[in-house]
Amino acid sequence: MQLTTRKIVVAGVLLAVALVLAFTGLGYFPVPNVSDSATIMHVPSIIGGVLEGPVVGLLVSAVFAVDAYIRFGFLFAGAPAYLPFLILLVPRLLIGVAAWLVYRAMKNTNEIVALTLGAVAGTLTNTILVVGLALIFWGQIPAFAGVPQAAFVASVIPQAVFETILAAVVTVAVVAAWKRIETGRGKSSV
Amino acid sequence: MGEDFELLRNVTIGQYIPTGSPVHRLDPRAKIIALVLLVTAFSITLSPPVSLLLLAGVALIAWAARIPLGYLARGLLPMLPFLVILFTFQIIFRGQADRQGQVIFEWGFLRLTHNSWPVVAVGLIRVVAFVTLASLLTLTTTTTHLTHGVESLLGPLRVVGFPAHEVALVLAIAFRFVPTLIEELDRVARAQASRLGHTGAASRWRPDKTLRARLPLIVPLFLSALRRAEELILAMEARCYVSGRRRSRLWRFQPTPLDYAVVAAGLALVALVWSLG
Repeated sequence: MQLTTRKIVVAGVLLAVALVLAFTGLGYFPVPNVSDSATIMHVPSIIGGVLEGPVVGLLVSAVFAVDAYIRFGFLFAGAPAYLPFLILLVPRLLIGVAAWLVYRAMKNTNEIVALTLGAVAGTLTNTILVVGLALIFWGQIPAFAGVPQAAFVASVIPQAVFETILAAVVTVAVVAAWKRIETGRGKSSV
Repeated sequence: MGEDFELLRNVTIGQYIPTGSPVHRLDPRAKIIALVLLVTAFSITLSPPVSLLLLAGVALIAWAARIPLGYLARGLLPMLPFLVILFTFQIIFRGQADRQGQVIFEWGFLRLTHNSWPVVAVGLIRVVAFVTLASLLTLTTTTTHLTHGVESLLGPLRVVGFPAHEVALVLAIAFRFVPTLIEELDRVARAQASRLGHTGAASRWRPDKTLRARLPLIVPLFLSALRRAEELILAMEARCYVSGRRRSRLWRFQPTPLDYAVVAAGLALVALVWSLG
């Protein structure tokens, strides 16, 4: 696998942005739900994937994956050792890749639409895979014992919707300003 | 308003405190391996006393590294609301699931039983330990040493085509840019505040308001990072940097007996915790 200077540097600075968002708490939006916060920690991975391809998306996702393990790893106390890696790490690593795939497929239609759909795809890949895998391995996770599956899914939906909107808004705002794309309100000039 | 500008006030991960302790002088590779082994030890135990003993061990490492425990504890403050909410739910759900269990404490929905409290306690200790260990690694290791350590440990993967040097460089760039970007963020926050913007406002019940308040910080943060990336790419290419080439080092790590002892102790600890359950 060969990484160009551009890919190395962009992955590095986006990783720095992800770390800053995590350290300062700016990446977490307080919302009234079980996990206490909706996150935009996945947006650097989406932007990395959209701007520089799947490898950069994957590299930047790694920090979000480790952060998720630190925050939610304890929920898997008593579960098989591979489960936290499968449920917390793998879906997050795929965020940038999914965003890149959708963005590349849609790029020729309309850049803003492609960016929005890329961000939506990246976010939903994470949410759907995490929720899907949690439901598949439900019986093996003691933390979920006694929680109705429907209640779990219902509690995730508002957060997923909000995170998807957040990701789309931030991705379009950043990439449109960076690439100087016309957004319909005149040229962006941030 | 003042607190909006002190974004790093309670952040301990990513800082470095040069106390010149024996922990600081350890080979970074030994420290990274020891960290992974300690995280493994915490992850495989379900016993509150064992977890507490391990946490005491972490405090001992902090003492040996001459890092004040109060300073480390401050790093946990930003996570406090998250921890409280999650663990309240844990107490409710795990207690409600264990209907047959002997009740220790019950108040409304909150229900702690003999079977549920150990898992909740171990979970809490685990989060505290993970954050503290991550902080300890960066507090006692310079970013240069950390990235060289990562590169050296990933080195063997080069035979299967893994770009170990490049990944280490990505990490080095990331660590290098964190303080720069935080400074930039601080500047943007002050600039917005001087124009009467409420950039720090966060409303739990109106996330749209939070988004509106934070976008003027987040978008410039990304754009400033990308702009700096372009400058760095130009600077690296102007100096003929080519990725994938073999490089020599100014100095190499020489592991001492103490480094081997630390790794051996970590392995012994994992084996011991594994046998204790």
